[in-house]
Amino acid sequence: MAVAAPPRKSGLEAEQVLGKAYDVRLIRRLAKYVQPHSHLLRAWVLFVCIDLAFDLAQPYWVMYVLNHHILRGNLDMLPWDALVYLGLIVGMNVATYIQSTLLQLAGQRTMHDLRIAIFDHVLAQRTAFFDRIPVGRLMTRMTNDIESLNEIFAQGAITIVVDALKAVVIVCIMLSIDVQLSLMTLATLPLLFILVEYARRAMRKSFRQIRVRLAAMNAFAQEHLFGIRVVQLLGRSETAKREYNEINAGHRDAYLLQIRADAAMYALVEAIGYIATGLIVWWVAGHRVEDAATIAVVVGFIEYINKFFIPIRDLSAKYAVMQGAMAASERIFQLLDTDEPDGGLPRETTKADEPGATSAAAPAVELAGVHFSYGAEPVLRGVDLRVPRGSTVAVVGATGSGKSTVIKLLTRLYERERGAIKVDGVDVRDLSLHELRRRITVVSQDVTLFAGTLADNIALGKAYDRARLEDAVRRVGLDRALVRRGADIHAQVAERGANFSAGERQLVAFARALLRDPEILVLDEATAHVDPEAEELIERGVQILMKGRTTLVIAHRLSTIRNSDLIVVMDKGQVVEQGTHDELVAKGGLYAALEKTFRRAD
Amino acid sequence: MASQSSLAYLRPYRRILLAGVVLLLATNLCYLGVAQYLRHSVDLLRAGRTNEIGSSVALLVMFAVATAITRILSRVWIFNAARAAEYDLRSDLFGHMMTMSPAYYRDHPTGDVMSRLTNDVQTVRAMWGAGLVHLANSVTAFATVMTYMLLLDPVVALLAIIPYPLIFFVGQALSMRVYRTTREVQAELGSLSAHIQEDLGAIQVIKTYGLEDVRREGFLEGSKRLLDKNMAAAKVRIQLGPILNTLAPMGVAILILVGGRAVIHGDISVGAYVAYSALLSRLVWPTLTLGFMLALVQRGRASWARLVQLQETKSDIVEGSGAALPDSDVPAAIEVKHLTIKIGERPLLDDVSFVLPPGSITAVVGRTGSGKTTLVEALCRLIEVPPKTIFIDGRDVTDVPLASLRDALGYAPQEAFLFSTTIADNIAMGYGGGTAIPAARRAELERAGAAAHAPDLSNEPQVNEAAKAAGLARDIAMMPEGLATVVGERGITLSGGQRQRVALARALASARRFLVLDDSLSSVDAETEKVILANLRNVMTGRTAVLISHRVAAIKDADQILVLDQGKIVERGTHDELIESGGVYSELYRTQLDTELEIVREAG
Repeated sequence: MAVAAPPRKSGLEAEQVLGKAYDVRLIRRLAKYVQPHSHLLRAWVLFVCIDLAFDLAQPYWVMYVLNHHILRGNLDMLPWDALVYLGLIVGMNVATYIQSTLLQLAGQRTMHDLRIAIFDHVLAQRTAFFDRIPVGRLMTRMTNDIESLNEIFAQGAITIVVDALKAVVIVCIMLSIDVQLSLMTLATLPLLFILVEYARRAMRKSFRQIRVRLAAMNAFAQEHLFGIRVVQLLGRSETAKREYNEINAGHRDAYLLQIRADAAMYALVEAIGYIATGLIVWWVAGHRVEDAATIAVVVGFIEYINKFFIPIRDLSAKYAVMQGAMAASERIFQLLDTDEPDGGLPRETTKADEPGATSAAAPAVELAGVHFSYGAEPVLRGVDLRVPRGSTVAVVGATGSGKSTVIKLLTRLYERERGAIKVDGVDVRDLSLHELRRRITVVSQDVTLFAGTLADNIALGKAYDRARLEDAVRRVGLDRALVRRGADIHAQVAERGANFSAGERQLVAFARALLRDPEILVLDEATAHVDPEAEELIERGVQILMKGRTTLVIAHRLSTIRNSDLIVVMDKGQVVEQGTHDELVAKGGLYAALEKTFRRAD
Repeated sequence: MASQSSLAYLRPYRRILLAGVVLLLATNLCYLGVAQYLRHSVDLLRAGRTNEIGSSVALLVMFAVATAITRILSRVWIFNAARAAEYDLRSDLFGHMMTMSPAYYRDHPTGDVMSRLTNDVQTVRAMWGAGLVHLANSVTAFATVMTYMLLLDPVVALLAIIPYPLIFFVGQALSMRVYRTTREVQAELGSLSAHIQEDLGAIQVIKTYGLEDVRREGFLEGSKRLLDKNMAAAKVRIQLGPILNTLAPMGVAILILVGGRAVIHGDISVGAYVAYSALLSRLVWPTLTLGFMLALVQRGRASWARLVQLQETKSDIVEGSGAALPDSDVPAAIEVKHLTIKIGERPLLDDVSFVLPPGSITAVVGRTGSGKTTLVEALCRLIEVPPKTIFIDGRDVTDVPLASLRDALGYAPQEAFLFSTTIADNIAMGYGGGTAIPAARRAELERAGAAAHAPDLSNEPQVNEAAKAAGLARDIAMMPEGLATVVGERGITLSGGQRQRVALARALASARRFLVLDDSLSSVDAETEKVILANLRNVMTGRTAVLISHRVAAIKDADQILVLDQGKIVERGTHDELIESGGVYSELYRTQLDTELEIVREAG
């Protein structure tokens, strides 16, 4: 059954929404992830029952021994009595060990699945999602929040259910031993109920404050660590510490109520247990015949009362754990509910993917009247652009003219707002993402390398044989760069490729693209300047890459521009001129003026 | 926190902690009262003296109530002291982190520092609070119960407590394994975080190259490794309970054997047997928490080690020991002499020397990676510089206290960083005003009496002037709340250009004598930039200024232009002089198309 999601709350409000210790809606959703491991849980239930049986048999045995052996002077049986008792203990602990391991295994496997589910979900989101949600927050969901959710299993908060079962069984046993004494014990229940209710309310109130202030404190710290340069340049370290401590103090004080409620609950439940014991002795004295059986019953009750009250006493600690876990799961599910999927169905092949769907006469890439804006800022205002098959088109324009955005819309990292974008005559929205991104390979100026080997970084998950890899490396000239640093394709790449220079990274990107052998190449030429030798390597690499391929290049180098078949000049989100180099020079517009300054500089 | 022991943080609260421990002892003594009158009542019952039981039970109840009262107080005191010590620890750590140089944060991800500030501090606090409560409770429970049992009957008592020393040693051995496995889990969690960070940072590449499956594979492996480490740690933790729990009730088994015999022989009363049984089962819980506490302490130790690591890393920027700069508004005179800065063997700046005359405007140009940003960071001492290389008013900057130096200068970086508070607050921070606590937070804290009231700064003349000079007047007029508009995640989203201008306004409010603009108008469109620059001419009068820009419009009017290439100053002079000479500057011209288009458009 689908449960209607509550209206999404934002900002401060969202943090004030207090996760209940038991939120049925969340638990039901969580159950879906536990489901695949239900066989572990079934085994767990079995061993919990065994555990419980051994546990609760102990007081009964003590009672029996007292009644039948000790108080009746039966000396010979005592060694056997002690041995049986030991057996009960060992049995219980073996069962405890097994059931705890099973529960942990179920928990850890569920958390693993949930982690993967979040990862998959996040990776399937469109690019705009990542502009909005900070990386740090997504990381927290997959690490810390999962860990605190796991505390349900690790700290045994799930055993609240077991404790309840245990309480019921204890009551049944007590009733079977002596109805009147049981009722006397149960008479303390209303008092316990009031106490638990008081503690629950106090903690709820306390947790609300704690949660808001903890979030405030962490947000403050995060912001200041992130902006440390500004903090220091403004000489604000001391002020920052003072302000941090204001929130820090608020956070500390938010615990006052919780600490008080927790202490009261713990101590009073314990005391009520003792008092119940005393009352039983007192009542027995007034109403029962003094004999061995009576004394044994009293002892048995003392033991059962002890076992009955301990779980209740620890309820508040478990409540805190549950609260934290539920809050974490709420955040996780909120993320899973924020669904802004990448357009189309990435894995599914569409009809438009088939070679027959493309028209041979259509240009490889065509944009018509494309509009796009980031938020309220218009970036593209009706862009028209055609890249004929087999040709090279260079786009030039100032920073912010919208060149890079054209690429992002073409590969559907972002969705156009108006207009049409076609590849091989087919609307990019009709192609599956998989097919679209197979046809077009983008070489951006900011090359991302992953930690691992260089070969992994070039192959990017595809299985090429070594010869092909080395061939690509050689053709783009990366081999010469590698020789310079005395490395080969098995060289280790540090995180974010920190041990590779900008020039080397460019060459790696070329090798990647060459291996993928795309029909359409989109090249965002690097503006970063490297040493002359690397510059030469890159220029040669670009030429090899572009050879015989439909290429759309965002050009920053005069040589690239001059060698292209068509030059498109963009300004303020529009195409203002296009033509060949000679045509544009003759036209005497923006490009011509540009060209003039080039020659003067030469 | 120079001390290696976390206990130093508890020192200020030692009186209240001691009182808490004493009360815990009292709790356990009161419990002996409960046990004593339980024994007495059962003996009375056994002897048939039922009319005396009433007063015995009444005493039992009294002692029970006393245990509750003492226990409540002890827990409240100890837990509150632990919270107070946590406050001190957080405060020290955060204060320390605010002094670390930006270089530190380049090598240490913010996420890692945050994780220590949050998770590790909490773990240490748990060690202090719950750890101390459990430790004190277990120790006093054992001490009192054993003393009582010994007094009652030494032989039975000694035999019944045989298992307990064993419990201690087994617990200790296991707790070492808890420590080790916990650290392994934390390390695995860290490497998984690194994987996630790498993927999320490269999301566009992953999408355009269709790498989802490959990266998922890597994540899956990492997550599986974490699962395995978690299970390994869990297994050690899980063993702890049953092992201790098997050892502890052995006492009861011995009691059945030895105590039962004693009752039959009439050596001890039935009441004593019942009391023993109650006392021994009461020791089960402290034994179990002993295991729990050992795990807590081991986790706490692992976290504490991570915090000490944080605290022991000192900033590489050494505080100047000389006198503060005199309080003045005269433009600063800056001189740089043979400045060389290296990372490893690679020089970022190579023997750079120049003079910034008071009140002059100097532009620094060069290719990406030529050392421009390093140069301005050195001027602001955001990175450490060798002594006697940079001078302000003739004084070595390494000798000037950092606060005094930074009081004199204003810096606007390319990546405009704003705090999630109002625009007015952000600007006022330039002159030491403003608050970084968001208004909604502050209101909540004010109600709780934790924070002082922060004034609305949107009518401050200093703020308004700076906003105007940074070309923000029109933007602010269009916002419903004007300067009181909240920016950042909880407020409105400013455009890149607007953010840069707010940061510029803050730098202007901050720059009393010296202003540094590090490509700080790159996202501002050309027209607006022109207006700002025209304005700045007026504003900058009375300040020495250095600016980095890729836009010729911004730099061509500078008094001098320094051209950096591979860390060296290769050319210097005015715009016209440098174009004339036809060197690197004019070549930058040729290759920097963006720049050209600006000029062309400006000309046309």
